[in-house]
Order: sequence, then structure tokens, then C-alpha cells
Amino acid sequence: MKEKVAGAIRQALESGRAGAVLFLAEEEGKLIPRLVRDAGDPAIERAYVGDKRFPASAFAAISLPAVDGVLAVVGRECDRRMMNELAKLNHLDLERVLLLGIPCSQELADACGCDHPVPPEPVAEAEVRPAEALDAPSRSMDIPERLAYWMDHFSRCIRCYGCRNSCPLCVCKDCALEREELAGKDCFPPDIPVFHIIRALDMADRCIDCGICELSCPADIPLRELYREVRGLFKEHFGYEPGISAEDRSPLSFLGEAADLGAHE
Amino acid sequence: MAEANGRRNTADEDIRILAFLCNWCSYAGADLAGVSRLQYPAQVLDVRVMCTGTISPYFVIKAFQEGMDGVIVAGCHIGDCHYLKGNYMTAKRFQFLQRALEVFGIEKERLRLEWVSAAEGEKFANLIRDFTRTISELGPSPLRQGRKEVAVR
Repeated sequence: MKEKVAGAIRQALESGRAGAVLFLAEEEGKLIPRLVRDAGDPAIERAYVGDKRFPASAFAAISLPAVDGVLAVVGRECDRRMMNELAKLNHLDLERVLLLGIPCSQELADACGCDHPVPPEPVAEAEVRPAEALDAPSRSMDIPERLAYWMDHFSRCIRCYGCRNSCPLCVCKDCALEREELAGKDCFPPDIPVFHIIRALDMADRCIDCGICELSCPADIPLRELYREVRGLFKEHFGYEPGISAEDRSPLSFLGEAADLGAHE
Repeated sequence: MAEANGRRNTADEDIRILAFLCNWCSYAGADLAGVSRLQYPAQVLDVRVMCTGTISPYFVIKAFQEGMDGVIVAGCHIGDCHYLKGNYMTAKRFQFLQRALEVFGIEKERLRLEWVSAAEGEKFANLIRDFTRTISELGPSPLRQGRKEVAVR
């Protein structure tokens, strides 16, 4: 796998398909994102292929202005979806990025409850089965019980903004969570549940379920479950799932026609 | 006021409802209800907005956070919007939000989306009566109770 990825990076640079390649390199026991322009660069040998994840697309959006031509990114299927969403938010030019897709391992897919472990054109083939969805305890609860469940989790929040800062798709410059009239003044703990619900509502048409928020949450709030429930509802209600394609747009991003409104006239 | 909906008890008196009304239709409708001297429960707090399309779902969540027991969003009928399509966004957002509230553990009946035109004073009064009844049956918002507990501690 590692050789194939290194080969794909070199091939992309030598053929001129990409002006630079972005990947995670393993150096002295640490994982460091590397931007490489030369096919002879020794860092390519140290390209990391493993279960640790990083939002490659977010780094791509940052690195793109420093690159001439196309930027190739070593990433997973999640990264492809992130790129689609970033393109919709006008943060990434899809014409200028190329994904060198790597499949996730079976263990990672199972741990993530992932139904899309292999990207469309992977640089290395792998037999990975889509995993079963993770269980959501809140789904089977009745409504008062559900509020108690969420309030219990939210009450541990230390307002570190880790979920927002680590999220590759949280890109608004003016963040509702920093508005004192909405989520409280720089208070600790934050106003619950409004703080978390604001983010959950924003994630409904944006979240691609990469789970990085939950990894970075020091309070172990089941954020993925919350966002997955909201996103599932969004899909049921509007038939729109974020990330799948770069062409379709969220129903909440345009006014549309009266005929689309459904139950209300 | 409370006789108008046929009940008079403390729970009824205690509930608080926030109504977002659009400037062009529903606020005028509420005004008509007032000028026509139609009786309706007085626990409603009106917020006039230029168009219901300007109301963010955050505001509704914030209203619940601040201890409101129910929220009404009332705008022009589809096709009658002063800004042509503003209420299309309202319809999409709040139909979704009603369902999303259940995900968070808030009853969806606590949020109501209605179209009230400037001529529908009677409809407005009925809406408030009906909604107040719904909310008093549901009881005060669980978030408000939570806040009280926190305050005591």
C-alpha cells in the first residue's frame, strides 16, 4: 500500500498532472502534513498510510494559493466529500485539486461505522466491506428522555470550540457560536442546549460524517450521533445528502419554487 | 383574557409564547384582531420582523433557551410575500426545524408555522387561542424547568 501511494505521488508529479502533492508524512514518530513539488523528494518515501486521520481537504484549501496548477491530495473518501462541500462554500476550486484516494482499513471502517470506506478511483485496491452504522442510543428514546440524554452530555461541554475548530467544513468568518446574543457571552459553561443545537443545525446540510469533531472533543460528547441524526432527518425531509456530489445544492441555500415546498401549500 | 380560551388556571397564566410576525401580513393581521376587539390570550409576545424569511432557526432555539414555552412563526401566504419569495425559505427552514426539534428532545408542537394575511384577524385570534391551549396541555418547556433548577443551585 505504502509503495503504491508513493508511486502514485511520484507519477502525479512526473506526468505533470499535479504541480504539488499534499500528504501526511511520518517523521521521527510524528505525523506532519507535507507539500511536495519535486518527484525526487525523500519525504515521499515517508508518506503515511494508516488509520490516523486528518482533514486533508482543509489543508488543501489552505495550501492551494501557494501552488501553481493542480494540487494533488492524498486522502480518503471523506476527503473527497469534504472537497465537494468546500467547493459549494466557495472555499476550494475543484478544477485545481486532484484526489489520490486511499481506501480505509477494515478496522477503521468498522470503528467509524462507515458506509463509504473506498473512494471512487483508489490508488491501491483493497477489499473493504462497508461497515454497519453505529448505534444511536437517542433514537429509541421518547422526547423528554432524549432531552435529558442530550442535556447530560452537553452539560460536560467546556466551550473549547474544539468541535468547530477541528471541523473542516466550519468555515464561516462570522461564527454564530461567538455571538453573545445567541450562545451567551464568553461564559463557562456555555448556554446549553442552544450552543450545540446551533452547530447541529448548521451541520444538517454540510456534515459529511468524518467524525473529527468527536475525536477532538475533550468532554466525550457524542457529537457524531447528534449530527448524524440531524443529517439523516435532513435527507429524509429534503432528499439531500451533503458531500456526495459537487453539483447539487442544499435546499436551504436557495429559494426555489413554490412547488417544492411540500406540506405548506 | 384567559376566559377567551375557556380555561382559567395558573398553568395557563404562566406560559409564555413568542410570536414572530411578518410586517406586511401577520402583524397587520394581529393589528386587525386588536382593532376588531377580538379576545385572545395575553401571554403572547409579538416580535415584528420585515419578512419571516429573515428569521434564523437560531432565534427560535434561543427563544426556547430563554424560557419560552412555544414559538409561532407567522408570515404571508405563499405567493403573497411582499418580497415575492421570502416565505419559501421560511417554509423550508421551519418545516425542517419542527422535525429537528424532536431530535434534540423538544416537542415539535412547541413551534408552529402559520400563514396569516392582513385580512385574517379572526384567524390570528383563533391561532393564538388554539396554540395557547396546545402549549398549556404540553405544560411549561422542560428547558425552563431546567433553568430554574440551575438557578436554585
